[in-house]
Amino acid sequence: MRILRSEWLKAISVPTAWILLGTMVLIEALAAGLVTGLVDVKELRGRDPASLLIGTPLSTVLIFTLGALLATNEYRHGTANQTFVITPRRERVIVAKLAVGLVIGVVSALLYITVNAGLALSILSNRGVPVDGDLAVNIYSGVGVGIVLGCVFGVALGALLRNQVLAIVVGLVLFLLRGVVALFIGTTVGKFFPGEALLALQGTPTNENLLSQTDAGLVLAATCLALAIAGVAATRYREIT
Amino acid sequence: MPEIAVERLSKRYGETLAVDDLSFTVEAGRVTGFLGPNGSGKSTTLRALLGLIRPTSGHALVLGRPFHELANPVQTVGASLDASDVHPGRTGRSHLRTLSAAAGLPNSRVDEVLDMTELTPARDRRVKGYSMGMRQRLALAAALLGDPKILMLDEPANGLDPQGMRWLRDILVALAGEGRAVLISSHVLSEVEQTVDSVVVIGAGRLVMQGSLQDLIAGDQRPALVRSPRRDELRELLEQTGASATVDGRSDRMLVHHASLEDIGLLAAKHGIPVFELTRAVSTLEDRFLELTGEGGNVR
Repeated sequence: MRILRSEWLKAISVPTAWILLGTMVLIEALAAGLVTGLVDVKELRGRDPASLLIGTPLSTVLIFTLGALLATNEYRHGTANQTFVITPRRERVIVAKLAVGLVIGVVSALLYITVNAGLALSILSNRGVPVDGDLAVNIYSGVGVGIVLGCVFGVALGALLRNQVLAIVVGLVLFLLRGVVALFIGTTVGKFFPGEALLALQGTPTNENLLSQTDAGLVLAATCLALAIAGVAATRYREIT
Repeated sequence: MPEIAVERLSKRYGETLAVDDLSFTVEAGRVTGFLGPNGSGKSTTLRALLGLIRPTSGHALVLGRPFHELANPVQTVGASLDASDVHPGRTGRSHLRTLSAAAGLPNSRVDEVLDMTELTPARDRRVKGYSMGMRQRLALAAALLGDPKILMLDEPANGLDPQGMRWLRDILVALAGEGRAVLISSHVLSEVEQTVDSVVVIGAGRLVMQGSLQDLIAGDQRPALVRSPRRDELRELLEQTGASATVDGRSDRMLVHHASLEDIGLLAAKHGIPVFELTRAVSTLEDRFLELTGEGGNVR
């Protein structure tokens, strides 16, 4: 528990974490408010509901970055020295970071849903645009799970790579270059890659080349688990120089 | 059993042998200076002692055990490897709280070490606004959190002003006086010569000498400075005894090597040669240190 508390304090005691969370809230508020508030009602009724409710993939990227910082800040700022002197069993530190990443991911997902759903659904309701409740729940739960896994993915990738810039760049490539992977290696294998899985998880308009929402969640969770195991192993055996 | 024992330690990084068959011990109740030029292997040795790197061969032991086998590492060893090892966005107090939480220590201990290091007035300022001296104090505060039996500090005097140096000297001597083993590394002997009781000198990863500060001085081979109106006559006599002398232009001075002050004085008296000055050439302990470590020639 004490390592968990320490990692939690590390996460909340740097301004960057709050800036990233605040940026996510602002972007979601703007995205939800602008799309549902400014677009013509007739056009809104004609659009796929999913496209109205999903804010921006930038939220997942911001929270992924937050997760990556949780792990890589230790090396960037040299605090890994003190951390691993106080806790020589390094795997415990990484497991605690993953747990803190999970909690921050859940908090971020709840913030996202509160801001985005609160604004978008109330504006659509006021403007008389019907929204399928089951679909909304499906979409928001998918996006929420994506944000949670995005944060854990960031921690795990950061623990594995330890270089802050490298971890964030690799993460962005994996998440944002959706379709590129599938384009080059084919959709059969490509749909299992993180970017494609995240897209499927968000329940965006049906695409037969993507996994089902549940399968996408499982694939992304399995990817996080594999990265986490690799990150723990790498941290345990690497030299802290 | 010594508090710290380095036994035939070697560490290789690719083609570079950073530490080469190094052995030394550190005892409790003393401040031991771990001295050597930059790149001589001091930090690598400390990292091996702290379990941050694995030795290629040999052992780095704390209380007879590898660091990772210590039952309570926080209360056994307090360490600072670099005063810059802190997130600049955290306050001094929040930095220490992250460490104290991991160690299972109460927040009150954070306030105690802040007081000890005279950082209380700056505790809620972000570290990016700290001076180098304040960062050194924060690093020492972090090392003291667990009230450890052993302190290992890498270049703790770096960036300190004269007032800070005195403060560091006083606190380290006091901590050793309480029975702790204090190991401080430095590449500048003058920074620590008034603080340390004993020294371990390394160069190119190898042990150059271990002993007391007096041992370091005792091996002094500085030349003797001699002033005499009959300099050349005395020089000839000295050279007949196996000494060598270098003259200083047209003055009455010369530097004499391989002869003790006593031998020079006796020889001059025996031949009735007046001597106006007879002393060791002006030099510092630093010169002796550089002489032992090869004046940086061994630095990688």
